[in-house]
Amino acid sequence: MSQNQTVIPQEFNLPAGVRPVTGLDGIPCLELATQMTTLYWQTYGEQSRFFQALIEGRLIGAKCPQCQMVLVPPMTWNCPDCGFTDMEEVVLPHHGLLAATAPITIFPPAGQHGNAPYARGYVDVAVDVAKASFLPARLITTTGLPRPGIFVKGVKLKLVFKDEREGRITDIFWVPWDEIPEGLRDIEPLLASQLQFEDPKPPVIKRPFEEVFTAVRDLAVKAVRSPRAVENLKAVGTRRIGVWVGGGEFTLSIQNGCLEVKRVSDPGVDFVIQADDPNVFLKWANGGSLSDPAAEGSLWLPNTEAFGILPALDRVPRSVRRDEGEGKLSPES
Amino acid sequence: MNRVGIVGAGITECRSRWVEATYWKLFQMAVRAALEDAKMTAAELDAVVYGIYNDMFEHMAIPESALTGWISMGLKPGVRVTNGGATGFYAMRAAYMEVASGLSDIVLCVGGEKATDCFDPQSGTPTPAVVGVIAQSWDPFYEYPLGATASDSYMGKCMAYNDAYPGDIGDGLVRAQMIEMLCRQGNRNPFGQRRKETVTAEQVLASRWIIAPFLRLLEACMYTEGAGALIFANEQKTLEICQRTGRQPIWVKGVGAANEPYAVGRGSDNLMELPRIKSDHLAAYRAYEMAGVQPSDIQIVEVHDAFVAQLMITMGELGFVLMGKTRALIDDGVMADIQKLGDEGRPEPGQVLINPSGGLIFGGHFVGGSNMFSTWSAIREMRRRQVPLSLVHGTGAINAAYGGAMILELGEEVRA
Repeated sequence: MSQNQTVIPQEFNLPAGVRPVTGLDGIPCLELATQMTTLYWQTYGEQSRFFQALIEGRLIGAKCPQCQMVLVPPMTWNCPDCGFTDMEEVVLPHHGLLAATAPITIFPPAGQHGNAPYARGYVDVAVDVAKASFLPARLITTTGLPRPGIFVKGVKLKLVFKDEREGRITDIFWVPWDEIPEGLRDIEPLLASQLQFEDPKPPVIKRPFEEVFTAVRDLAVKAVRSPRAVENLKAVGTRRIGVWVGGGEFTLSIQNGCLEVKRVSDPGVDFVIQADDPNVFLKWANGGSLSDPAAEGSLWLPNTEAFGILPALDRVPRSVRRDEGEGKLSPES
Repeated sequence: MNRVGIVGAGITECRSRWVEATYWKLFQMAVRAALEDAKMTAAELDAVVYGIYNDMFEHMAIPESALTGWISMGLKPGVRVTNGGATGFYAMRAAYMEVASGLSDIVLCVGGEKATDCFDPQSGTPTPAVVGVIAQSWDPFYEYPLGATASDSYMGKCMAYNDAYPGDIGDGLVRAQMIEMLCRQGNRNPFGQRRKETVTAEQVLASRWIIAPFLRLLEACMYTEGAGALIFANEQKTLEICQRTGRQPIWVKGVGAANEPYAVGRGSDNLMELPRIKSDHLAAYRAYEMAGVQPSDIQIVEVHDAFVAQLMITMGELGFVLMGKTRALIDDGVMADIQKLGDEGRPEPGQVLINPSGGLIFGGHFVGGSNMFSTWSAIREMRRRQVPLSLVHGTGAINAAYGGAMILELGEEVRA
């Protein structure tokens, strides 16, 4: 049990009261701030054994002695195919195959704020039997954020246990087998601390970037003059972001709503983002988005913090265009 | 089983939020519209079936209890149905069964939702809270803690389908063209939520990703507040009422349903098979068998389209196009173009009018009553186009586990 975390985060609340509201009909109405919250001590019951095994660093399933079906997790211990006959505990290997290409969630529900993007899929663990359920799984890569092309059908995965476990499905996650150093592949349980998740190695890039640099610099020059863009950038706070693209590097410095683009690479950046295809930044500077290439996998990001500032950066070129269209850009200095 | 007709249908306007009305008022509006459609009074109704998807959206446990009196059904039997996204269909199935069995002569079936009062204080918007409530459809042990959502579960199905049948739903242009056509249809629905909106294929392709590579923002269904009501009657009452209204009767010719299991796996009927939406297939073919018809006999469908990629797969599962070749909907012109048909034209042989209401993407998606909304549209289109058969489809629950289909038939005019 956690001593200082609560089930509902402290900031997840509303001020009490009633306020006026007007809809499509233009009729003045009221709305009430209220809630329908239920707290639980949720029974694990027959599911307990599975989670007790996770705490011990083991993966178990239920096997039917008659039809040999293996259920992992053992959502029931009585075979639904054989008249609810008692199933037996079976110890399962710490590797499996991804049963289908996994979706990557970038717009999470309330309660998952700050975790996106994340990949969730189904792992086929009991591959040797004809009838088996698949384990719902969090999928994690050591190469940065999850992106399309990594968690595809049939990819072999290694089960990894968190070092601190308390009996939750999030005590475990799965990593592509090829990313596990050979000397660690047979270790059961393999602990998260035995793998390297910090400072992921970026992919190799190879294209020229002069056109991209000019477009981004032109955007920055206009952004300083655009009141809307300045507001967008203020939301980002103070950040220095390294951008590696098409054989070159530049730095985006954001401070007090001001965007500055420097040709040199800055060793003191907060993080580095990169794209093999320079068009990613060219499109952004011309009114596109950085969130889309991140979702598609063509923009590489090191962490969720980098992902979190993309919505604000997405708005900048649109804001510049709107202010320019409305003649609201301040004079060039 | 006794023959059953649908004698009245009414829906509210679909809105993203009704600050002017609670769900009490929305349900009452729909019931009133259905009764006016059938030229009858609530006194003639024997019983009611309510479709309400969940208690959290309505902010009341036993939400139907508050409706009994306000929809003029005091002291009569009533039952609530809740079956995820397929709630509406299953409520219709329950109402159908009550009449078909002979237990009641005339049964009201009303469903709706007040979905967007939910509010997420962290983002300052309703959407993550709405998504969060729907995410509670997952179990608390395994799936919910992993951050499973409704859209990623349907996308998971689409991705598995794409693994099994590559080169079909992955063409964004085909999906975008379908959106453009659905939008034009939604523009003709006087109750549709996005009836004033114009969305082009180009705009679809430029909209942001929700889940790459099968779901952009403009490919997703809406959250809607609204309600829809249908009135089911036995053969004698159907003929009486149609004589009164002077309209051709609508007969329920086939009903089919199937629910896939929760846990995903292989080799057992008690485990869900990922690449298929088997529930859709089984439901539809059970309905075809009962009705004695083939998909090729049906030229109007109202399909539960949560997302366009899922709509394509469902059209394959229902047998209108081949699995793995559902892009024939656009490539071979299977999807009829409303621009050519106008308000009264019949689809050409080999063509199907798909979601003339605009579907759940443009028309509306008030979960507990979305399939009543679809039925209202199917009836309207059969009558104005004189098309003899239509199919209404519903799907729901995580991983599209629940499926239902109803075949409607346009009957002969009743003479006094």
